[in-house]
Amino acid sequence: MGGTRLLLLLPTRTYRTEDFIDAARTLGVDLVCASEKPSTLEDLAPDSLLTLDFADPAAAAARAAEWSAERPLAAVVGVDDITAPVAAVIAERLHLRASAPAAVDATRDKYQMRQCLAAGGVPVPRFRRIALDEAPLRASRGVEYPCVLKPLALSASRGVIRANNADQFIAAFERIRALLQRDDVTVAGDAARYLLAEEYVPGLEVALEGLLTAGELTTLALFDKPDPLEGPFFEETIYVTPSRLPPAVQNTLRAATAAGCSALGLTEGPVHAELRLNDDGPWVLEVAARSIGGLCSRTLRFGTGMTLEEIILRHALGWPIATLERERRAAGVMMIPIPRAGRLDGMRGVEEARSVPAVEDVVISAHKGQTLVPLPEGWQYLGFIFARGETPAEVEDALRIAHARLAFEID
Amino acid sequence: MSEAADLKSRVQELIDTTINPAVAGHGGYVELIDVQDNRVYLQMGGGCQGCGAADITLKSGIERLIKEELPEVTEVLDTTDHSSGTNPYYTAGKS
Repeated sequence: MGGTRLLLLLPTRTYRTEDFIDAARTLGVDLVCASEKPSTLEDLAPDSLLTLDFADPAAAAARAAEWSAERPLAAVVGVDDITAPVAAVIAERLHLRASAPAAVDATRDKYQMRQCLAAGGVPVPRFRRIALDEAPLRASRGVEYPCVLKPLALSASRGVIRANNADQFIAAFERIRALLQRDDVTVAGDAARYLLAEEYVPGLEVALEGLLTAGELTTLALFDKPDPLEGPFFEETIYVTPSRLPPAVQNTLRAATAAGCSALGLTEGPVHAELRLNDDGPWVLEVAARSIGGLCSRTLRFGTGMTLEEIILRHALGWPIATLERERRAAGVMMIPIPRAGRLDGMRGVEEARSVPAVEDVVISAHKGQTLVPLPEGWQYLGFIFARGETPAEVEDALRIAHARLAFEID
Repeated sequence: MSEAADLKSRVQELIDTTINPAVAGHGGYVELIDVQDNRVYLQMGGGCQGCGAADITLKSGIERLIKEELPEVTEVLDTTDHSSGTNPYYTAGKS
């Protein structure tokens, strides 16, 4: 299948680069990598390196169209929230396989997403968009507590804060406003002018990883999140699949996700959905037009060992996929949270953590000397622990034991 | 000079004259570790070590350049311990 050219949109700071590049290599495609900043080697390798302005999808699509005039592309894949909308616009322009740009855009604005989901009859928390230039005290009037405040466009719980009363609402409002001014936050338009306040929905939280083909959702994995996510911040830690929820309940979660995709108009490619579950049934919190973030996809294997990224690339290329059936064994990941702000001086216990039965690997992604910023302002993890075992309980236990063996020196 | 030694020498020259001057722009450098069975083993240092974009640099830049100039090279492999990088040009994180 050599000679098939695939464009990957890879932000310079994404965790997803290695796994997508490995998948492209496995498939033997002619890989072109585009980032938002020029590679030092772009002038020397102009057939495989490209710079695209991810903040301006139309300009990026024009540049990609110009570039591909003499180098036809068979597929384009964005690997995260930032690049998914860009990939959709490029795909539309070049007649490649992807969801419509408007549908992908809707997933990038939590207010727009809530509106689409609600209009489609999908259960979502009550919500309100609030201008960031409004006085927080005034904005807090009429709010029912507990509620959750969040930026419109950031991902992975960044800036998501629970408020139980007006004082906490005002503090959270100010904190999100300051967060959106940070140098490492690049939001524009409505995302820079508003935040979302919504009803806090109690209950269990799960994540569903899926693949859309011609509007049909196939569930690739349903992850339980065994650590309670009750606030004030919503740090994601452990994901374990398969879910331990009863099959009938899992079906309601799948149905709610499918309804969410339909309401948003998503039709093709990976989706990552976050849902809550309580006595009222499933609530759709997020549907993202991308695959699971961080290095978490390494928990997933399909058929005889196919990775999630290989499935995504095969789908984009229109190539056959032998199976979308996940392996039988349980698997899980722990995103190692940053416990406090400071400078990472060192770490201990990595080999001891790796030696825990069922633990497959421990990847420390933070580097010595790195400035660590915890949630809600932070945007990184210390690393990831991966485990695989016979049961979800065994996997969860292994992740917790391995984490307890790690020690991080933070100055 | 044996064929293997000659190939190693030509890879080294390419690194010295083309690749390293380019990656130096981000404070990085590439070191040739060995060439075995037409496979090139490299280590990345400086700003490249632990960089979130190191794989892009390697696969779509360095490997492409080496294979274009030296078609007998079958693969370029990164032996860098990226977790030990202390000054990566880009640090990976959530988007």
